[in-house]
Amino acid sequence: MAHSASLAASTPGRVARRRWDGVRNALPGYLFLAPWLAGFVLFTLGPTLVSLYLSFTDFDLLRAPQWVGAANYQRMFSSDPKFWASVSVTLTYVVLSVPLKLAFALAVAMILDRGIAGLSIYRAIFYLPSLLGGSVAVAILWKQVFGYEGLVNEFLWFAFGINGPSWISNPATSLYTLVLLSVWQFGSPMIIFLAGLRQIPRDLYEAASIDGATRRQQLTRITLPLLAPVIFFNLVLQTIEAFKAFTPAFIISGGTGGPVDSTLFYTLYLYQQGFAYFRMGYASALAWVLLLTIAAFTALTFFSQRFWVYYEDDQR
Amino acid sequence: MLYPLLWMLSSSFKPEDEIFSDLSLWPKAVTLASYVEGWYGLGINFGRFFLNSLIVSGLAVVGNLAACSLAAFAFARLDFPLRKFWFAAMLGTLMLPYHVTLIPQYVLFQKLGWLNTFWPLVVPKFMAVDAFFIFLMVQFFRGIPRELDEAAVIDGCGPWRIYWSIMLPLSKPVLAAAAIFSFIWTWDDFFGPLLYLTDVANYTVPLALRGFVDATSRSSWGPLFAMSVLSLVPVFAAFLMFQRHIIEGIAASGLKR
Repeated sequence: MAHSASLAASTPGRVARRRWDGVRNALPGYLFLAPWLAGFVLFTLGPTLVSLYLSFTDFDLLRAPQWVGAANYQRMFSSDPKFWASVSVTLTYVVLSVPLKLAFALAVAMILDRGIAGLSIYRAIFYLPSLLGGSVAVAILWKQVFGYEGLVNEFLWFAFGINGPSWISNPATSLYTLVLLSVWQFGSPMIIFLAGLRQIPRDLYEAASIDGATRRQQLTRITLPLLAPVIFFNLVLQTIEAFKAFTPAFIISGGTGGPVDSTLFYTLYLYQQGFAYFRMGYASALAWVLLLTIAAFTALTFFSQRFWVYYEDDQR
Repeated sequence: MLYPLLWMLSSSFKPEDEIFSDLSLWPKAVTLASYVEGWYGLGINFGRFFLNSLIVSGLAVVGNLAACSLAAFAFARLDFPLRKFWFAAMLGTLMLPYHVTLIPQYVLFQKLGWLNTFWPLVVPKFMAVDAFFIFLMVQFFRGIPRELDEAAVIDGCGPWRIYWSIMLPLSKPVLAAAAIFSFIWTWDDFFGPLLYLTDVANYTVPLALRGFVDATSRSSWGPLFAMSVLSLVPVFAAFLMFQRHIIEGIAASGLKR
């Protein structure tokens, strides 16, 4: 090896050829990567930088952007009650829907994991709502189900003789109907939990029950610790998703975020500012605050890992 | 779990006045009136919207499969300078909420004169913007034995032959999962069409449904449900046919990280 290296270094022609080899080896890689690279620069990196710039400007799409410094951010935090309304709606939604959804997903996954006849049918039934979740059709359905003459009230009347309110047009309840919609779609975290449960060795449970461990102890000492990385993964993913929720709120409130801003999701407010009022600079600033918030939440979750997530390889 | 969906299905076949007076899932009298009324409800028949959705979703599938598999092959199998750096950048885009790039992209498409066309919905897919699929494919490609590539190289195959004749044929499961998700997500996408399509004749199905909510009065749930049911049919069909791939795709994306 050393011999050939010194030989190569002594002859300039070889060095050049070697460099040429390096380029020739790099070329296929970059050719295969070219579509992605072009897309990355054109649709991600470029727009991200432009968006950061726009967030410091006034921009209505017609005239060139006017530099305003931090005015957009100042306005957001000091004199925009709707901004705070949307923050509160979104945080409430995230804090309620994510844990509930994960709890349901985990509970159902554990029941299915016990081994039930027709597992694939149940799996499909529980997963289907998630698959249809983002669709306008399901939002329309939800609007009816929780409407004044809707399915929920029909049922309440039929079963208890209660005359229910219109859940979606009442600001006290409208957000919770959307939380329920999100929880109803617990299918995709459930599938991931199921796959995680499969990987826990069965003999651990057998050994535990021989030692006299109760079901509860098996849950808290075996299942949950070994499933922690999967719980963590689902938590990160679902939190990011929840921050980005848009379509159901848009359809159900007719794009207004009403009644009384009770379903004014952050993304909906961003859309209104950008594409209803054409405050593109302000909307860009809103987008950057969203990015930083999601990043902070994700970082916090990653940081919390050390207290509750156990990775098998760590111990070795 | 499925009750609301079944109820919507059964309501779409009920006469309008029976929808709210009858909780049972079995219609007393089956009628297609809601479907007929809904199909022509927006002045243009719904077939047009289905065609639009089919064009957009079909092209999105082709674009995603082609562009993402090329990038995934480069990341999983080829060696080139800055490979790790670009891979990290690609993973970073997974975390980036699309709202950040939204407005500059809109301005870009406006400058290109692409507003109210399908191009903004389709062209980015041919440039592999859906990093999720790249990630999924990289994970799968890594599981294919390297000896196959090495044998192929000895037999004189270049990277393209390895990609086309070895990797792709062995990757049918992950390609199927990516195709199905790509189709379903594009079919259901509401936000993209909402931004870029203004002419009713260009509407995709979700946009048409939303237009339908605004155009019809509160009382006509029948046609609205009928069209909602129709809009779910392709997704439902894809789900039934490829259930195994869908579920494996999800599980794989979640666990191999």
